[in-house]
Amino acid sequence: MRRFDTTKARVFLGNWRTVLRFPYSVPSIDLQRSSNPLLACFLMILAATRTHLPRNLAVSGWLATSGMLAVICLATGCGRSELGYKPNSLHAASLTREGTDQNPISIAKKASEVVETWFGNIDQPKWPTDQVGLADQVLRMDCVERCAGPVGRGIDKVERGLFRKHCVSCHGLSGDGLGPAAMLLEPYPRDFRRGTFKFKSTPVGKKPTREDIHRTLHDGIPGTAMPSFRALDESEEFAKDVEDLVHYVRFLAIRGEVERRLISLHVREGVELESNSQRMQEVLVQVVQKWADSPDDVLVIPETPDYFQTPSDDSDHAQRIEKGKTLFESELTACVKCHGPTGAGDGKSQDFDEWTKDWTILAGIDPKHPKDWKEMKPFGALKPVLSKPRNFHWGAYHGGKSPSEIFKRIVLGIEGTPMPPVARAHNGNPGLTDQEIWDLVYYVMHLEDR
Amino acid sequence: MNSESKFNFVKLWAWMSAAFIFPLIWVGGLVTTHDAGMAVPDWPGTYGYNLFLYPLSTWLYGPFDLLIEHGHRLLGSWVGFLVILLCIWAWNTESRGWYRWACLGLLGAVIAQGLLGGFRVVLDQRTIAMIHGCGGPMVFAYASFLAFAASSDWNRARPTLKANGLWRLSWVLFGATVTQLILGAQLRHALPYTTPVGFMSMVHLHLTFAGIVTLAVLGVFYLVRRPEYQTETKLRSPANALAALLLIQLALGVGTWMVNYALPWSETMPSLARYVIAAKGYWESMLVTAHQATGSLLIACSTWLLCRVGKRQSTLTSSRNSFTIPNAVDSMASEPTGAIRILETVE
Ligand code: HEC
Ligand code: HEC
Ligand code: HEM
Repeated sequence: MRRFDTTKARVFLGNWRTVLRFPYSVPSIDLQRSSNPLLACFLMILAATRTHLPRNLAVSGWLATSGMLAVICLATGCGRSELGYKPNSLHAASLTREGTDQNPISIAKKASEVVETWFGNIDQPKWPTDQVGLADQVLRMDCVERCAGPVGRGIDKVERGLFRKHCVSCHGLSGDGLGPAAMLLEPYPRDFRRGTFKFKSTPVGKKPTREDIHRTLHDGIPGTAMPSFRALDESEEFAKDVEDLVHYVRFLAIRGEVERRLISLHVREGVELESNSQRMQEVLVQVVQKWADSPDDVLVIPETPDYFQTPSDDSDHAQRIEKGKTLFESELTACVKCHGPTGAGDGKSQDFDEWTKDWTILAGIDPKHPKDWKEMKPFGALKPVLSKPRNFHWGAYHGGKSPSEIFKRIVLGIEGTPMPPVARAHNGNPGLTDQEIWDLVYYVMHLEDR
Repeated sequence: MNSESKFNFVKLWAWMSAAFIFPLIWVGGLVTTHDAGMAVPDWPGTYGYNLFLYPLSTWLYGPFDLLIEHGHRLLGSWVGFLVILLCIWAWNTESRGWYRWACLGLLGAVIAQGLLGGFRVVLDQRTIAMIHGCGGPMVFAYASFLAFAASSDWNRARPTLKANGLWRLSWVLFGATVTQLILGAQLRHALPYTTPVGFMSMVHLHLTFAGIVTLAVLGVFYLVRRPEYQTETKLRSPANALAALLLIQLALGVGTWMVNYALPWSETMPSLARYVIAAKGYWESMLVTAHQATGSLLIACSTWLLCRVGKRQSTLTSSRNSFTIPNAVDSMASEPTGAIRILETVE
């Protein structure tokens, strides 16, 4: 337990007096910064008990009070962990597993310190303007600031700490997907630090747009723990919250990816982990540029054919299904390999996602072998689980169930998972025509049990 | 000083206090569900206003989290006011000395809860929020105890039971429900830096204790119908209430998991595969809050059972441990203590 600090107690008692001037009490938020005033309160209550109340006071009340307060003193006095972004030691560990004798923990810590000089800490995020210019191109820092830090309203009534309020229980403080509940969920919550997202309108290797992330937050992801924040989006009061959270997700992803790349630059090429190193700053610029808006990357979806809305007559319908089925089962698309002959998600090929392969296969670990992967558990690794191909019979589309969203998934693939993009006929390249892709969409949607 | 007067205000007031603490628990639960604990950054004032003078329109038409947080504070003060009246009444009319002290104890507990709530805000400490959250149901159980101890059953019950089993089981049940409350609070108030492993252990413990509570309630339900307890029909009401609440609670528990984290079997059923959690939905937060409130009711009901069994337990009169014997407490406290004597002379 920390020493009882009398100056702090006096500060606290001073404030306490203002509290006692009840009707005109002033906001006493400053108190948050004095660390252990509870002890003072505990002593005060003990004193009050001794002087003002008869000694034979039996069971109840004050005893319970003192007990409770004693517990708090213990809990807050000794047990208070410092909040902060967690260093990415899992990445460091998987890179240093073979061939080096470097200590992953200390590497990760150093990288985290460098990143902190650019992006600030968990309560006060900032933008590396000196290195990469203004944030406007990529995200809005006022939104980011509103999402970071502890939950609550300031005296200006503006709500802050949105990420801790809505997301932290799954995605974790650093967006590492290791929030308290992570272990109990399947699929695991997204680790933003890889900068990889599944449901987006840009090709593999490109970053999702703001609208993509907004759509995920608005609709949620069915069959997973990712909630829909529609209620916030559609209420007048909290309407801005979701958009702000989108910016914070981007911030965490940028921050996390820079951190990862610094670690690998250090391990692979021996570049010193320092914030003024030229090479390190190049990495920073590269990552930030990837997130800058680039409308050119967004897939232009041809207009959804009418027959998706208005049911057509039987012969047309049967014909389209037949075409789609043939494509689905063809060698060219290989859909069957994963989704199975009936589209129940039970194909022969079952694989892990990139977030898992990142610290297993890339580090020479067999994810199927418990003895092997458990080696990484101390660094925060969770048990590898297969990335299951979708079962189309249930009609539960994770990226949105409109034909155009499914079109996007088939054309672009689902990044980070085994689901590949189809080859699309384009500028003379061979592949499926748009009409054929619509047929696939039609077939897949038709598989839903009704 | 006469508790046999025609209309017993103490009894009424003890019931009133308990009856108002229950909604207080609901609103408090909503505050936790919506993470609105810091919706008002100062205490005891609200945005610099006196608690009672905060403008009504800004409160009612303000943001939702501010509405419930400030409402929780107002309701809390109202309960404090009720309990002060209870104490005054008890000191004037109640003949049982221990009961008067116990009322004062309730006041102490209510004040302590208020202080804890305040410190949670002033220090922005989630650990305190957790303790405050556990304290609420305990204060409710305490107030219910006062209500039961003022009831006519308490006065009329005679020590006839010889078997000890139910008495012991009731304590097990009480202990298990309280433990369950503390475990549930670990889930509800999980700190951002709680590790996945730590959280998982708490979930498993919470489930284990749900099993223990279930077994204990089933045991109680069975025992009160056994020959050795059959004659005491009054024991059945708490047992039945416990069984009914338990069923509700188990269903609410599963529902709570579902609306917070989705059920883990999405691969087995189309309805689960299509299910999307609605964050901050109205019914969802009501369900989660109902789970917490029903948990408090279970604790209060096991207190009820303890009162009904304890007052009928003949084995207790010969027990050495006088602390747990309501009857013994009665007789012990009938000799006026220092403070009571002072009050009497004042009168
Ligand atoms: C109850 C747990 C939970 C909460 C709370 C939660 N998420 Fe998620 N989130 C998940 C899970 C699980 C996934 C992974 C789904 C998948 O892989 O299909 C996910 C995925 C995501 C994705 C990735 C989508 C993609 O295209 O890859 C984003 C972005 C995201 N969450 C943002 C948020 C934000 C922002 C919040 C808070 C406002 C939040 N989440 C709250 C569980 C949660
Ligand atoms: C190598 C394996 C593999 C192949 C080949 C494959 N998929 Fe997939 N598919 C997956 C996986 C895995 C997922 C689930 C990804 C996730 O959300 O985690 C998926 C998901 C989907 C989804 C669901 C999208 C959503 O929003 O939920 C559709 C639709 C789909 N695949 C269609 C197809 C079609 C059509 C083909 C053939 C052109 C195909 N897939 C080929 C593995 C595959
Ligand atoms: C006898 C049965 C049970 C009792 C008495 C009980 C009691 C409680 C209580 C009192 C709380 C709230 C604690 C607080 O707010 O301080 C709680 C929380 C919780 N309980 Fe239970 N519970 C029971 C069974 C279950 C079951 C079967 C589940 C199913 C998984 C469950 C899941 C939860 C969850 C997820 C929370 C946290 C809610 C949140 O995050 O807001 N409980 N429980």
